[in-house]
Amino acid sequence: MIADFGYGIFLLSFILSIYAVFAAIYGYQTNKYTWVESSRLAMQLTFPLITITSGILVYLLVTDQYHVSFIYEVTSRSMPLYLKITSLWGGQSGSLVFWSWLMSSFATAVTFRKWDRDREFLPWVVVVSSVTLAFFVGLVIFFENPFEKFWQTFNGDVVTAMFQPAGSVPFSPPDGKGLNPLLRHPGMIIHPPMLYLGFVSFVIPFAFAIAALITGRTDDRWTRITRRWTIVAWLFLSIGLILGGRWAYDVLGWGGYWGWDPVEIAAFMPWLVGTAFLHSVMIQEKRGMFKEWNMILIILTYAMVIFGTFLTRSGVLSSVHAFAQSAIGPSFFIFIGVTLVVSTALLIYRWKDLRSEAELTSMLSREALFLLNNLLFISIYIVCFWGVLFPLISELFTGQKVTVGPPFYERATGPLFAALVVLMGIAPLSAWGHSTIKTLGKAAWKPATAAVIGLLAIIFVGKVTNIYAIIGFFAVLFTSFITLYEFWRAAYARSRAQKENLVLSLWRLFGKNRRRYGGYLIHLSIILMAVGIIGLEMFQTETQGTLAQGESLTLGEYKITYNDLAIFDSNDNRNLARATISVEKNGQFVGELHPRRDYFYESQQPMTIPGVRSTIQDDLYIILVDWQPITTEGATFKVYHNPLVNWLWWGSIMMILGSMVAAWPEKDPEPRKVSSNAALAAAD
Amino acid sequence: MQQPSAEPTGSERKGMPAAVQAVIWVLLLGLLALVAMGLKRTQQGTVQIGDKIPDFSLVFFDGYTYEGKNEVQLSDLQGKIVVINFWASWCIPCEDEAAALESAWNAYKDSGEVVFIGADYVDTEPEARKYLEKFNITFPNGPDLGTRISQMFRIKGVPETYFIDKQGVLHYIQIGPFASEDDIHTILDGMLGQ
Repeated sequence: MIADFGYGIFLLSFILSIYAVFAAIYGYQTNKYTWVESSRLAMQLTFPLITITSGILVYLLVTDQYHVSFIYEVTSRSMPLYLKITSLWGGQSGSLVFWSWLMSSFATAVTFRKWDRDREFLPWVVVVSSVTLAFFVGLVIFFENPFEKFWQTFNGDVVTAMFQPAGSVPFSPPDGKGLNPLLRHPGMIIHPPMLYLGFVSFVIPFAFAIAALITGRTDDRWTRITRRWTIVAWLFLSIGLILGGRWAYDVLGWGGYWGWDPVEIAAFMPWLVGTAFLHSVMIQEKRGMFKEWNMILIILTYAMVIFGTFLTRSGVLSSVHAFAQSAIGPSFFIFIGVTLVVSTALLIYRWKDLRSEAELTSMLSREALFLLNNLLFISIYIVCFWGVLFPLISELFTGQKVTVGPPFYERATGPLFAALVVLMGIAPLSAWGHSTIKTLGKAAWKPATAAVIGLLAIIFVGKVTNIYAIIGFFAVLFTSFITLYEFWRAAYARSRAQKENLVLSLWRLFGKNRRRYGGYLIHLSIILMAVGIIGLEMFQTETQGTLAQGESLTLGEYKITYNDLAIFDSNDNRNLARATISVEKNGQFVGELHPRRDYFYESQQPMTIPGVRSTIQDDLYIILVDWQPITTEGATFKVYHNPLVNWLWWGSIMMILGSMVAAWPEKDPEPRKVSSNAALAAAD
Repeated sequence: MQQPSAEPTGSERKGMPAAVQAVIWVLLLGLLALVAMGLKRTQQGTVQIGDKIPDFSLVFFDGYTYEGKNEVQLSDLQGKIVVINFWASWCIPCEDEAAALESAWNAYKDSGEVVFIGADYVDTEPEARKYLEKFNITFPNGPDLGTRISQMFRIKGVPETYFIDKQGVLHYIQIGPFASEDDIHTILDGMLGQ
């Protein structure tokens, strides 16, 4: 009953979003502002409605209503409450409802702003947001309905349908199938919502970009309005990607964090293009350049958001992430096609209006280096895009689906990433408009010298001989010293001028130019993450062995001894095999680890949980691969030594802080400074 | 509602040249066509239970043979139950079922009525060999070159196992690893009893 109500409410929000689209267009065409206002209110109304629908779905989840097929698929009685709630996004249809809910909340939030100066944008922002919303709501209504119930027909078959088929009776299984145990990890519970938040918030800048194209108000107004949305979108997408990596590291048991799986890449592509966009909008704001380029980037970002979701959910690519085969593929395809064609047509139509207000005068100016940054990000993006499409292309020409593996991506993107790290150091030193080798050299020689000294220490004291690692470490040292030096210089100058102490100066500096210093913090965090990646990629070692009780295995400085294995049932329906291993480092006992294997009775799935000793220097990561029933006969372990990997996780925390600094609202969020074009438009 | 107002005044910038526009449209439509094609193939769906499986052949890794040959052709196996298991050395869940498969193979191989075949999906040979060695796999195994066989079965991932009956008709599909060796026995005994 309540499920039918939820479906009805959702249907209503679908109709409202469709209405919002037409009302907004009609209002714009006929210059009737009341219609535009009506469309805005209609769109805002979808938020409470979809909130009710989601609430009903959560209610069904926590009250074990297994007569609803979605509830049966994703939960079971033994699951704790928080997992039942988060199962909302554990399956295809529920996650689409959740997506819609986020979309409507963001669209509502953006339409609450004051529109006085940007009235002509409003109808088109409503149109783009509502079309996107209607698409996702429509998918749920027509293809992936989470409210479908089980019915038993007279011959005993159980079918799922929204409404009672003739001659059938309601059917309710006693318990659900439960969430895949692999997904019962804190990182995995927050990972999808973070990605969705990132995806959804990129819709807002896209909506404004399209509004700017349609209305012809192509100055930097749209980028200024959406600046904070872009940073927030970028932050959520980054957190989502990192959590996915952390989950893989903790759960998948191969001691890695990133596998270049098509679905990982599908989420990485909008991030790459979005990061390029985040940088290049700054040039448009400062110099009025690259307007057409920014349009291309934001359209591409939006297309990649939808394309990524499509790849993940349509089954076009085989992947460990693939959702079940689903009927939503063709709808997604049509939506992507229409979006791309319309955006491209608009872009071509407005091409001549998107002219730069300045010329690129120096190849070493800040804007030129930003352009280089963009080219590097786009190159990485093209590598990824090619890799993802390659199976489809090869199938077209050879009839075989050839998948490109991690080595392809690593080789192709490695040098590009290294170049990006170096550029990240140099670019902030250059000036807008004009820089020379001399000015750059003057600013860079001190940090560069420090980096060389640091590198020599790494080579001779750390005994690093791998040439790629040496290049990597140089890039990292150089860029981190420059960035720290920048902080120091600015804080020192300020403390001299204002007669404050250095710490206070540094703090006030952040307050004064949040975007710049937040950005530098993000740069530093990327450096920390790069250190972790270099450590794991270049210095990971592993070994494997079958040990009898009391036997040992050595890996580098570590010696592990197999002490014991306990097999027992837990009270939440699992069977655990838990080994006890003592770890020695350079002959010193440093602790015990407990790698284990949990077997989930209800889903009949095993799960490997590594024993990890984690320090700032390295991780020792042990997996219980196999064991004999009689523990004295032995057990097989796989042991990984992952140097520096913790820097990756600490770096990501710093990245969140940096993004928060950069996105923090300033006292006057809407500076009255507008560029000449905007002034022209406002005077109209 | 105000109409477009930021029209450039006195701009010497021209619109995009027609040739560039044409290239953009061709690329865009080409991309869409490519994805549409991939989608169409996906929509054809997996092979269904009850389907007659088309013929295929698999060349084994060195050291594996079946009836003295280092290659097998499905059509030569008429009259036998064929169990085809897709796996990969990088696949963690595959490790969960490797021992069970091998043990089940040992239980049936002498009857001569059941053949197990392992098809290695998207893998490198040294890694694959290590994997086979680690689990002492003795039933014939070979690389699924160019993913020809897995394409035919339209597998979604590894491990997946397909049971083909004596008439060459698909009888059962196992997605994901077997929970235990008993499951394999249950399926095969059911098929043998028919």
